[in-house]
Amino acid sequence: MNQQRIVELTLLLLAAFITLTTVAVAAVAEHTDINWVAIPYLGALLLLWTLSHLSLRKWAPTANGLLFPIAALLQGLGIAFVLRINPDLLVNQVIWSALATCGFISVVAGIRDLKWLQNFQKRIGLAGLALLLVPLVLKLSEGRNGSYRSLQLGSVTIDPSQLGILFLIIFFAGWLATYRSRNTAEHLGQVERLDGDPSRFIPLIGAWLLASMTVIFQSDLSSAFVLVAIFLSMWWVAVGRPFDLAIFIAATGGSVLLALNSVPELQDRFAAWTDPWSNPQFGETIIRSTFALAGGGLTGTGPGEGSADWAVGATNQFAFVPIAEELGFIGGSAVLSSFLLLTGVTLRLATTARREFEGLSAVGIAIFFASQAWAPIAVTLRLLPPNDISLPFVAANGSALFTCSVALALLLKISETVSHAADPTEIIPHLASEPESTP
Amino acid sequence: MSRRLVHVGIAFLALYGLLFFRLEMVQVVNAKDLRNHPLNTREIMLNFDAPRGSIKTADGEIIAQTVAVSGPRNRLRQYPYGSLYSQVVGFISAEHGGSGIERSHNGFLAGSDLSVRIQDSRDLFVDQARTGQLQLSLRHDVQLVTRAAMAGHKGTVVVIEPTTGAIWGMWSNPNFDPNHLSSHDLEAAAIDFNKLNFDVTQPLKNRAEYQSVEIGSLFTIVTAAAAIENNLGDFATPSTSSFSANSNVSVITNPDGNRCGGTIKSLMLSDCRSGWATLGTEIGHGPLETVTKRFGLIDNDPLQSQNALPGTSGKTRLISSVPHSAVGISMKLTPLQVANLFATIGNYGTQIQPRLVDRVLAHDGSVIHDFEPHILNQSVSKETAAELLGLLSENVKSGNAAGLELSDVSMGALLASSFSDSNHLWMVALAPVPRPEVIVAVLLEGNDFDDQQIAEANIAGISRRITEAVLRLPSPNLEGS
Repeated sequence: MNQQRIVELTLLLLAAFITLTTVAVAAVAEHTDINWVAIPYLGALLLLWTLSHLSLRKWAPTANGLLFPIAALLQGLGIAFVLRINPDLLVNQVIWSALATCGFISVVAGIRDLKWLQNFQKRIGLAGLALLLVPLVLKLSEGRNGSYRSLQLGSVTIDPSQLGILFLIIFFAGWLATYRSRNTAEHLGQVERLDGDPSRFIPLIGAWLLASMTVIFQSDLSSAFVLVAIFLSMWWVAVGRPFDLAIFIAATGGSVLLALNSVPELQDRFAAWTDPWSNPQFGETIIRSTFALAGGGLTGTGPGEGSADWAVGATNQFAFVPIAEELGFIGGSAVLSSFLLLTGVTLRLATTARREFEGLSAVGIAIFFASQAWAPIAVTLRLLPPNDISLPFVAANGSALFTCSVALALLLKISETVSHAADPTEIIPHLASEPESTP
Repeated sequence: MSRRLVHVGIAFLALYGLLFFRLEMVQVVNAKDLRNHPLNTREIMLNFDAPRGSIKTADGEIIAQTVAVSGPRNRLRQYPYGSLYSQVVGFISAEHGGSGIERSHNGFLAGSDLSVRIQDSRDLFVDQARTGQLQLSLRHDVQLVTRAAMAGHKGTVVVIEPTTGAIWGMWSNPNFDPNHLSSHDLEAAAIDFNKLNFDVTQPLKNRAEYQSVEIGSLFTIVTAAAAIENNLGDFATPSTSSFSANSNVSVITNPDGNRCGGTIKSLMLSDCRSGWATLGTEIGHGPLETVTKRFGLIDNDPLQSQNALPGTSGKTRLISSVPHSAVGISMKLTPLQVANLFATIGNYGTQIQPRLVDRVLAHDGSVIHDFEPHILNQSVSKETAAELLGLLSENVKSGNAAGLELSDVSMGALLASSFSDSNHLWMVALAPVPRPEVIVAVLLEGNDFDDQQIAEANIAGISRRITEAVLRLPSPNLEGS
C-alpha cells in the first residue's frame, strides 16, 4: 500500500474524530437541541469521505496524502456548526456534498492526464468567462441593486462565478505555459523593460478589465481581490516582470479609487467598513461578529455555548465567526492554519509538478483557496469591506463546495508522482537552478 | 524551487499573518474592552431565559426576579415595581439586550462569574446552575418617597448617604416599565422598545448617571472651597452689579441687576455672581482647577456608581476664563456627580465612591462579595469642609435655599436657577448639619414653570419633602439585614 494513502487514512480518522467530538460536545450543551436525527447526516458525511478515499486508492494511489484530510476536516467542522446553527440547511448540504463527491471522483477517475484539458483550453476559458459574467449580466438586465454573486433557482442557490474562476485558472495556466514563455523575465532579461512582444499586455488588460468590472458593477472589492490575487500569482510565477507588475497594480488601484468616488453602493460598504460603530445599520454584522469573537476569547465558549445564530450569514460567509467564538482563538488559529497548510502544500506541489501547465494550475488553485479563505475571514476581522464570499469547504454553500471539491481533485491529480513523458514546454525545472538571465 | 513561487508564498504568509494578528487583537488583547462595550448586548441576550438570581433592595423588597411560566421559554423575568426602579435596575430582553444593573452585573446574576459558579470545591464536578442574588443599597421606602415627591415633574433625584457612599434613592422621570421589554411576546416587546428608543425624551437613559447638565451656581461651593484653601476666606470683594474681564467674553451680571459684594458668606447668601467672578479671578485658574480636580469633577470620565456600565460622555473641563468657571458657567455634571460633590463636603472632605450594589449573595443566602465603602480621595481638609457646611447651613437660614427650612432639623442646601439657555433648576440639601446623614440632590427639568419664583418654591418643597421623610424613616441598619 502506498505511503501517502496510509497518511491520508490516519488523518481522515483524526478529522472524523474531531468532527464527531465537536457535535457530541455541542449536543450536551444547554441551549442546543441536537438529537439522534443528526446521526444519518454524519454517517453520510463519513461515507462520502470513505468513497473519496477509496477512489484515490484506485485511480490516484501516489497523490498527496495531506490535501484531502485538511479539506475533510474543514468540511466536517462546517457540518458540525450547520447542525447546531441551522439544521434546516442540512439536507441541502448533504445532497450537495454527495454531488461534490461525485465531481471529485469523476475528476480523479476520468482525467488520466491533466494535459488532456489543454485540448479544450479555449472552450474552458470562454465557459469560465461566461460563468463569471452570468450573475453580472442578469443583475444589470433586471436592474437590481446590490451584489449578487449567486443565482436563485427555486430553492437552490448556485454561485456560478466560483466555477468560472476555476475554469479561467485552467485556461490561463495553459495559455501561459504554451505562448508566454518567450516573455518571461528570464527570457528577456531585467533590463529590456519595454521590449518583448507587446501582446504580453493582453492578459494584464484582461485581468484589469475583469477586476474593474467586479468593483464597479458588483461593488465587491473582495471578489476583485480574489481575481487579482489569483491572476497576479500565476502571472508572476510564469512571467515575473516587475515593470509590468507596477503598471498593472497602478491601473487596478486607479479603477478602485475611481469606483470608490463614483459608485454609491461601494461607498456604503466602504463606510460600514471604516467606521462600523457610527454606522450600526450597515456595520451591524461586523460589530456583531466582533463581539461574538471577543466573547469567545482565548479558549472559546465551548461548542454549543456560543451566540452564533444571531449573526447573519453565520453558516456562509461568516462561517468563521461561530467556529472562532465557540472554539476560541485556539480553534480559530487551527482553522487559519489549516488553510495556510493547504496553500503551502499546494505551492510546494507546484515546484515538483511534472509540467509547466500543471505547476501553474497548482499555483492558481492554491491561491484560489488561499484568497477565498482569506477574504471572508478578513471581513469578520475588519480588514476588508463586507462581501459574500463563502468560506471554502466550511460554508454551507453547496455550489461552492462542489467547485472546491473539483479543484481539490485537480490538485490531487497534479500531485501524482508517477513520471510522465518529458514535456518540451517545461520551464519550472529550469527555474529550480535559478538562472539569472538567458539571452 | 522557483524564486518567484517563494515570493507568492511569502506574500500569502504575510496576509495570513495579518489575520492571526487581528484575531489575537480581537479575541485576546482587546477582548475585555469589547465585552464591556456599550453596544455589546451579546452576553445578556444569551442569558435571557436562563436561570437568573433576584435583585433586592437594602430593606428586602424584591425588585427583579425570575419566575417559572409555562410555554416554550419556561422562565420570565419580572419587575414587581415596574418603572420605580427601571433606570437603575434596567431590563433584560430577548432581542434588545439589556441595561442597568441587569447588564453590568450579568455575570453574577446569570452565574457565569467564577466566584458565583464555583462556591464549593464540589461544584467543580457537578454541572449545576448557580446564580447569584444582588442586594442593592437602594431603599424601597426612599424610592417611594422620592417618586411621590416628584409626581408630575420631569427630573432626577439622587439620595446618598455621605459616610458610606451608599445610594439610597435614584429616580428620574421620564422612565419606562421594564416588564414590557422582558416580555416573551417578542413582537410587542420590539414595538415597545422602538417606541422608547426613538423617544426624544430618552426614557431608557439613566439620567442620574449618564446625563450631564449645567450646574451654574452650585459650582460656587467649589469656588468657596478654593478660596478657603487659598486663604481668601475673608477676602471682601467690592460691591458691583456686573463683572467683565475684557471685551472678548460675555459680561457676568447679577440677577435683577443687584449690587453686591463682600466675603464668601455674603456672596453665597445673595447669590452674587459678580462677586464670585471677582473672587475667582483673585484665586486664579491654577488653584481653582486643582480644587475642582480634587473633587473629581474634571479630567476624568464622569464619576459613576461602582461597576456601572461605562458611559459615552467624555471628560469635563474647566473653561479657560476663570471668572466664568468660578460661577459655574458651562460646567456640566450628572446628578450623581453633584450628589457626590456635596456628600464629600458632608463627609468632611473624604470622597467615597458611590455605590448601588451592596452585596452579592449565593443561592443559600451566604455572602460572596461584600462591597465595602471605598475611599477615593481627601478632596479638602476637614476644617474647610466644616466651614463650607456652615455656609450651606446659613444659606438655608437666610439665603436662596430659605424655602427648605425645617423647624426641628438644621439643614444645609444650595440652589441653582436662572440658566440663560435652559429651563432647569438644581437643589442639593444636606441634613442634619453639622453631621449630615443624607444628601438629596434634585434636578428639575422642563418648561412647566413660567415663574422662576414658583419654580424655586417647588424644588425647595420637593427637596424638603424627601429630606424630611428620609430622616424620619427607620434606618435599614437597625433591622440588622
